[in-house]
Formats: sequence, structure tokens, C-alpha cells
Amino acid sequence: MGLLSIIRKIKRKEKEMRILMVGLDNSGKTTIVLRINGEDTSVISPTLGFNIKTIKYEKYTLNIWDVGGQRTIRSYWRNYFEQTDGLVWVVDSSDVRRLDDCKMELDNLLKEERLSGASLLILANKQDIQGALTPNEIAKVLNLGAMDKTRHWKIVGCSAYTGEGLLEGFNWLVQDIASRIYVLD
Amino acid sequence: MEEDLSNTKEMSGKILDTIAQKKHAAMIERLSNLHQSRLQQSISRKSDSNGPSPFESTKSFLDRFSEAKRSIQNELDRCRQVSDPDSKARLKSELEKISVSISDLERLVSENSYYLPSYEVRSSLKTISELKESLDNVNSEVLPKKKFAFKNKATKKDQTSVAQGPDVRVSDKVVAEKSNFQIRESPGFRNREGGILVKHFKSSEEGDFTLSDLNSCEVRLTGVLRALFIHRLRNCRVFVGPVLGSILIEEVDRCLFMLASHQIRIHHARETDFYLRVRSRPIIEDSSSVRFAPYLLFYEGIEKDLNDSILDGETGNWANVDDFRWLRAIQSPNWSILPDDERVSTVNISNSETPSQSEEI
Ligand SMILES: Nc1nc2c(ncn2[C@@H]2O[C@H](COP(=O)(O)OP(=O)(O)O)[C@@H](O)[C@H]2O)c(=O)[nH]1
Ligand SMILES: [Mg+2]
Repeated sequence: MGLLSIIRKIKRKEKEMRILMVGLDNSGKTTIVLRINGEDTSVISPTLGFNIKTIKYEKYTLNIWDVGGQRTIRSYWRNYFEQTDGLVWVVDSSDVRRLDDCKMELDNLLKEERLSGASLLILANKQDIQGALTPNEIAKVLNLGAMDKTRHWKIVGCSAYTGEGLLEGFNWLVQDIASRIYVLD
Repeated sequence: MEEDLSNTKEMSGKILDTIAQKKHAAMIERLSNLHQSRLQQSISRKSDSNGPSPFESTKSFLDRFSEAKRSIQNELDRCRQVSDPDSKARLKSELEKISVSISDLERLVSENSYYLPSYEVRSSLKTISELKESLDNVNSEVLPKKKFAFKNKATKKDQTSVAQGPDVRVSDKVVAEKSNFQIRESPGFRNREGGILVKHFKSSEEGDFTLSDLNSCEVRLTGVLRALFIHRLRNCRVFVGPVLGSILIEEVDRCLFMLASHQIRIHHARETDFYLRVRSRPIIEDSSSVRFAPYLLFYEGIEKDLNDSILDGETGNWANVDDFRWLRAIQSPNWSILPDDERVSTVNISNSETPSQSEEI
């Protein structure tokens, strides 16, 4: 089975992308997924386990996995790593106290070999809150400058409440994945 | 394959500049790595499946899935019927094995989900949650003692939860290096003992607020805020106007909270009463002896604040608590509804009532 056959295979699956949403609990993952899918975000209960959403984005079909982030199930994230094309790491930019925790979990995640090829979008969420850290500040705290050079990554400030930044972020992610996987069309 | 590659190269050479070529080469490398890893998995899976292309065949996945499901169900039935004492003694470890098998099955689904039709993914997930539920039922049928055990406060909270796979990651050996970058603190009340702490939020603020390391304090926050973080409170009474976003509570002991919010998460709370109005279901984790009642707060202008934050009107969710550490159909022993006769009556924290020794910021 050569390169071409795998490419054909991918094409047959109608340009699907598998995207994993992770981050600490309360960072806004579920709200973001519902918002980009145009669903009601007024009542969201904390996620136990995970949700899957299939979203059409331009000519792509995104399978978005939204995984619960509370401490008791973080060790469970690894069950979702297989074949992940894009990783969205969501940060609550107003939760200064848990930024250490956030950095540690992100560092752990990026050590995963199975995620080594995935494009990484970091969403500095809740920018609508006065006093929230800016994407620049979040980048410094998370020490993103020291990231593995081979990783494709980007940080974008956003708010799941106002919708600001979400399109920019997902646009980058989808284009980046597409340029890796579907360029031989 | 060589052919195709060189073809592509030729074409690329004509239309792409060198940067694009580099990018292209890197892409091919990544692609072939991805392909390689997919291939390897395919091979490792071929060994125990016999479809023509097991790697991508929905049917072979479904065969494997239903076989595993059947065997788990059989095991569960067997455990349910065990009566002789010898086998009873082994039950606990058998049930643990079943729990591991269910986790494996869940992993199988997530690993294969990238090519499965979404209907199959969803129905497989539904099956898994049903299996988990039957496991919980069997657990509480045949091993009921935990339910009645007297809880020792000092007991470590390491009873395995159903949601946890067998491979719990030890992450605390990773020490987060402190960057020399100075993080500014969010506004809040911190490190106080025995005071009355009062703060009013103007409607223009819409910020977040933190309560942390308070001992024997009374806190009164009026007006609307966007987010509230509560960390390490002992012996405190906390009255808060509506929070438009979420409230995150960690490590509180012997407190009373009166809170209205869209989302409330409670971690590591003990012996604490919560009077809540919530738009979604409140959750507790690693908590015990926590009790719940409806929100009973009053101050001048609270109606408007509640209205503005879409928290007017009782939702009834104060009683719909989910214990993320107790994923079973039967009531969690960690929380209860506060009996009517033990509830406080409506608390009025209007400005006129503010005692003179209060501390305002
Ligand atoms: N102010 C503000 N609150 C947000 C934003 N995104 C999410 N939230 C709130 O944060 C809380 C947690 O959101 P949720 O999506 O459940 O987080 P998850 O645990 O990461 O899935 C909810 O109360 C949301 O309403 C945002 O952009 N701004
Ligand atoms: Mg969620």
C-alpha cells in the first residue's frame, strides 16, 4: 500500500478531520463547540465523559470530540488520542490560579507520541471578562515559545460568549490540517 | 508509488517556489509518518480479526464490539448469580476486571471512531454507558457494604471511580517550572480572618472575582459579576448576587454559600450548605456531607440583577446535583437535600444592614 492509496482513502472519507478539544474543566470547551455549531449556549451542564459533534466547515467535515476536563477524568483523555488531526487546547484566561495546572496538563499532553503530528490551536477564552489575561500573557505563562519546532501551533484570544476569535482560530486550524493532509488533491 | 511521487515533484517544480517545495516535502514526510502509524496499527489488529481490510472495515469493528459486549454481559450475569462464599470473595476483583474490559471497549471505539459512521459511534457509546450502568448496579447489588460504611473524614479519596481507566497517569512528578513572568492577581478577598467583607459590583464592571484563604468571614457581594472563583474557605458565610458565567469552588469546609449562577462546580467540599439558583445542573466532586437548598438572598435591586443575568425564576436545579465521583443510578451518599426545618430564612444584605465594622474595597 503506497502513499497514493492512503491519499485515495482519505479522499474517500470526504475530507474528514478529527479534532480533540481539551483543557481544564470550566475553560469553556463545551460552550465553544456549541457556539461554532450555532446551538443554544444558555444552559450547559458540566461534561461528564464526552460529546461528539459533527460540523460541516467549508468543504470539510469536522468530528469534534469535547472531552470532560475535571481532574478525575483527565487521565482518560488518552483514550481519544488516536488519529487526532487537530488539538484545541482551551484556557480560561481569567482563571489565573490554575494556570500552573493548565501548563502542566498541556505539557503532559504534548509529550504524547500519538499527538505529535496534530496541529495545535490554543484558545485563550473568556476575553470578554475584564481583567482576563491577554493571549500574549497566556503564551508567556504557558511558555509556548519553547514548543517543539516541528509543531504547528497558534494561539488566539476568543470569547465563546461574544463569538470573537473563534472563526479566526478554527479557520487557521482547518487550513493547517488541510495543507498537511489534502494538499495532493 | 515512486512514479506518483516523482510526477508530483515534477509538477511542483514548475509551479511552486522553493519555500512551497520545502513545505511540500515536510508535508509528505508527515503524511507518510501518519500513514506508517496507521498501517502499523492495521497490522497489529489484523492478527485477531479476519475481515479483508480490518483496519477500515466497519463490519469487523462491529463484530469485535458485539463480541466484547456479549462477553462483558455474560460476566456481569455470572457475577450477579454468584452465591457460594468462595466465589463471593473473588467478586471484587472480577468486577474490577469487568470495569477494565469496559474501558478497553471504550478505547476501541475512540480509536476506530475516525472512520466509523457517526451513527455507529453514537450507538456504541450508548452501549458502553449501559454496560457501565449495569456494572454499577451489580456492584451495589453484590457489594453493598460501601454504601453503609461509616465515612471517616480522613479517608483518602482514592476509591476508584468507574470513569477511571486502569492506566491512571501519575502526573505530579512533573513539576511545573515557574516562569519569571509575573502574573497579576485578579480582584478578590484573600487571606482574611474573622471579618465582614463587602463589595458591590457596578454594572459596567462585568469582571471576575476571587475569594481565597478566608477563615471565619462573612462575605457579601452584590451586583452582577461574570465569574467567581472560591478557594480554601473555612467556617465562612458567603452571600453573592447573580454570576453571569460560572462559579468554581475548591476546598471549602464548614461554610454556608448562597449563590446564583449559570454553572456551579464544587470540588473538595465538606460539611457545607449550598443555597443555589443555577441554570444548569450543579456538580460536586470529591465532596462529602454537602447539602442543598434553594437561593434565598435579598438586597435592594436584586430582582433587576437576576433579570439582567437571566437568573430570575426558579429552575429547580438546586436539587439536581450530579456527583461526578458517584456515577450510579442510586443516590450519592455525599450530598443531600437540606431539610426544611434546618434552612435559614431569606437573608437580607441590603446596604442599610451593613454593620459598621465591615471592610469594603
Ligand atoms: N464570560 C465567559 N464565560 C464563558 C465563556 N465561555 C464559557 N464560559 C462559561 O464558563 C463556564 C464553563 O463552560 P463549559 O463550556 O461548560 O466549560 P468546559 O468544562 O470546558 O466544557 C460556563 O458557565 C460558561 O458559560 C466566555 O467566553 N466568557
Ligand atoms: Mg464541558
